[in-house]
Amino acid sequence: MSPKSKEPFFARRLSRRRFMKHSVYTAAGVFVGSQGLSFAQGSQGGTITWMGHQEVAGLGPNDIGADVQASVIFNVLNPLIHVNHLTDTEMVLARSVTLSDDQLAYTFELEQGVLFHDGSEFTAEDVKYTYETYAEAGNTVASRFTGMREVEVVDKYTAVVHMDSINAAFLRQAGEVPIVPRAYHESVGVDGFRTAPIGTGAFQVESWSPASATVLSAFADHFRGAPLVDTIRLDVVPEASVRTIALLTGEADATVWPVSVEDNLDFMENPDFRVVITNWNSPRHIPLNTRLPQLSDKRVRQAMMFALDRQRIVDELEAGFGTVATSHLAPHNPYYTSDVKQYPYDPEQARAVLEEAGWTVGSDGIREKDGMRLSFTCTTISGDQTRRPMAELAQIFLREVGVEMLLAEAPVASILQGMREGTLEASLFNWTMGSTTDPNPAGTIGTGGGDNFTGFSNPEMDALIAEGLSVVDPEARKPIYERTQQLYAEEMPALLLHYNQGALVFSNELQGLPEEISNSLPIFYRMNEYSKG
Amino acid sequence: MSTYLTFRILKGFFVVVLISILTFVIMRLMPGDPVFLLLGDGQISITQEQIDAIRAKWGLDRPLIEQYFVWAGNLLRGDFGESLIRAGVPVRYMIAEAIPVTLTLNAFALALALVVALPMGIAAAVRRNSPIDYVTNVVSAFGIATPNFWLALMLIVIFALQLGWLPPFGLRTWQGYVLPVLVMATEEMAILMRITRGAILELLPQDFVRTARSKGMPDRRVLWRHVVSNALLPVVTVVGFRVAFILSGTIVVETVFALPGIGRLFVDSVLRLDYQVVQSLVVVFAVLVVVVNLLTDLVYALVDPRIRMS
Repeated sequence: MSPKSKEPFFARRLSRRRFMKHSVYTAAGVFVGSQGLSFAQGSQGGTITWMGHQEVAGLGPNDIGADVQASVIFNVLNPLIHVNHLTDTEMVLARSVTLSDDQLAYTFELEQGVLFHDGSEFTAEDVKYTYETYAEAGNTVASRFTGMREVEVVDKYTAVVHMDSINAAFLRQAGEVPIVPRAYHESVGVDGFRTAPIGTGAFQVESWSPASATVLSAFADHFRGAPLVDTIRLDVVPEASVRTIALLTGEADATVWPVSVEDNLDFMENPDFRVVITNWNSPRHIPLNTRLPQLSDKRVRQAMMFALDRQRIVDELEAGFGTVATSHLAPHNPYYTSDVKQYPYDPEQARAVLEEAGWTVGSDGIREKDGMRLSFTCTTISGDQTRRPMAELAQIFLREVGVEMLLAEAPVASILQGMREGTLEASLFNWTMGSTTDPNPAGTIGTGGGDNFTGFSNPEMDALIAEGLSVVDPEARKPIYERTQQLYAEEMPALLLHYNQGALVFSNELQGLPEEISNSLPIFYRMNEYSKG
Repeated sequence: MSTYLTFRILKGFFVVVLISILTFVIMRLMPGDPVFLLLGDGQISITQEQIDAIRAKWGLDRPLIEQYFVWAGNLLRGDFGESLIRAGVPVRYMIAEAIPVTLTLNAFALALALVVALPMGIAAAVRRNSPIDYVTNVVSAFGIATPNFWLALMLIVIFALQLGWLPPFGLRTWQGYVLPVLVMATEEMAILMRITRGAILELLPQDFVRTARSKGMPDRRVLWRHVVSNALLPVVTVVGFRVAFILSGTIVVETVFALPGIGRLFVDSVLRLDYQVVQSLVVVFAVLVVVVNLLTDLVYALVDPRIRMS
């Protein structure tokens, strides 16, 4: 395969089966045409504009965690691999990757002749520098490199990542960290780079105004050919209704952050737009502080699951955009299983389980046990008009079986810290448990995990997590992760509500979008493939 | 005069120092840790070691007193520090980028409000209980009662969506200023209109006005020379007073129209616990309010000879 293949961008995908067998991943993969992509070669000019709701605070590797920022960054900087719009692994700057038999060394064969925006050539030295620099504590992406010891430069186009310990999630987590040019990055540092990045991406930064707009211009020497448009632009538009109007007036072509559910329904009937509906990576859920005495008994948590009419929450508050959650992983996650304990809406069953657990109805209708009321506070994000109503509806359902859920609001930073430290009792999230790059069970459901907001601690779960992370073969790991889901559904440290569906709106002016999409954010990573009609 | 000015400046400095301490304390009392916001809402696993390293990088691991004096010392040298969230970006750049947007909006809005409110307020007072008075009352009631969030969205629907004359958001062209200025001017216009009308109605029955008329001075001259000039005093007071509301008054408008102004920067920074930005913004505005209050008092002296300094 020629390094300068005529196959446009991301033509090469990583086969999980090959990965399973630790074989060399060839650059063969799936051609763009087979993914339903269509575009013409050569620039057709014009500007693609999309909108986000939050400012673009930075443009460096440490900033890829937020969706709006990621939608810009991955057009400027390229990683070695991507988890694409089909949730498959695709080669980007890597042509292939091989895993050693002992699963402790990843050999990356790199694309050749790739240029950074400053004209310097991308080599294995840049991979070594990027990985070792951003693996240092103090970087927000550092934990993606867990288990990495060093990067060896074998030759100009071959880098080997040596691991101290097996980390099954390494490839899909670390592989997505974008590569920076060593010489330039050394001269400006991590913070300097995020304000003026140089990458191998199809676009280079023309202007960056964090709170209003980021404009990128086409990089003609991009290794997969010049983009089809001259410029792309992200506008920061916090108000959802204004994003809707901007789409309708043609001011913007797409939005990376959803508009309101009601507007989605209108767009679905509008022939000028395409609405892409995908499941979010993690279900909406109410993490419970399991360290509290009233929430430490799994029967209480199970009873609350029976008490919640979750389908009604989907119907009334999500306009049907969602399905009742059964697992903490979303259905499009490769490790998902539906073979877990089910909790149909059954208030009588909820009452029976609570009675069995010794919680009897008190004089005010709230259950008590040993002088303790079955009461806790759910803190939602200040001003969150999407999740707050869900908490209010859940409050009503729980009250009907004698559980008191009080409501409070706080800034997101307070909630994250409070749940992490166990000073808050519950919240309402839809993140943390199901990254599409790879499930991160150690951090989210393992004992003492940094993002274990429920304080959940279960020896069997910890053993399964350790086992799962030591098995790189996805097929061999699947039964282990299926068992973690079964155990989670049995213990239910968080009340799983529903898999909400994100609906992103695209103008039909934007041409070349993939036909099939199961993971929506990566659509924005490939703006070079799209043209304006 | 110089003694008075020196006293006011010293007093203002003391106020600013107090405000800076209060802001620092309040921000640190807010529950939450900005480190967590950098982690993509929990999507990336993080260890305590990494959290400690990030906190150390920003100096958040030092004693609070030391943090305050380091920040205040830097501030006195004109160094506002760096944003925690936009790491690598000096706070002064962020403020310098946002202030022109907000000041431009406010300047245009105030100018528009004055141009419309003063003549209408005067006309309404002079022709009390006439159709123009009723119209003025209705317009000012509408301006005060209408939430600017709703008004902004309605104007966007009409002028951007239905008519297609103006952009729905942003400041890519001069047209982008039209709707936000209109929304901001509406409320100010309503307030100034009422104050002007009330002040003139209060002055018209005064003896000095009657005297001027009895001397044979034409009504128009009485109005402009004796009534309006005196009625300007409360208007100047309100205009000066409104400066303190620039920060809070533009938040909604900047959010709806997606304008990168100071109000949005402030709210975003508070929610993300971006300490350096919030503290610096509050100090900048404290200085602004102190200066404007001083200028307002000096303008009083120009407008009203009775309180002119000897």
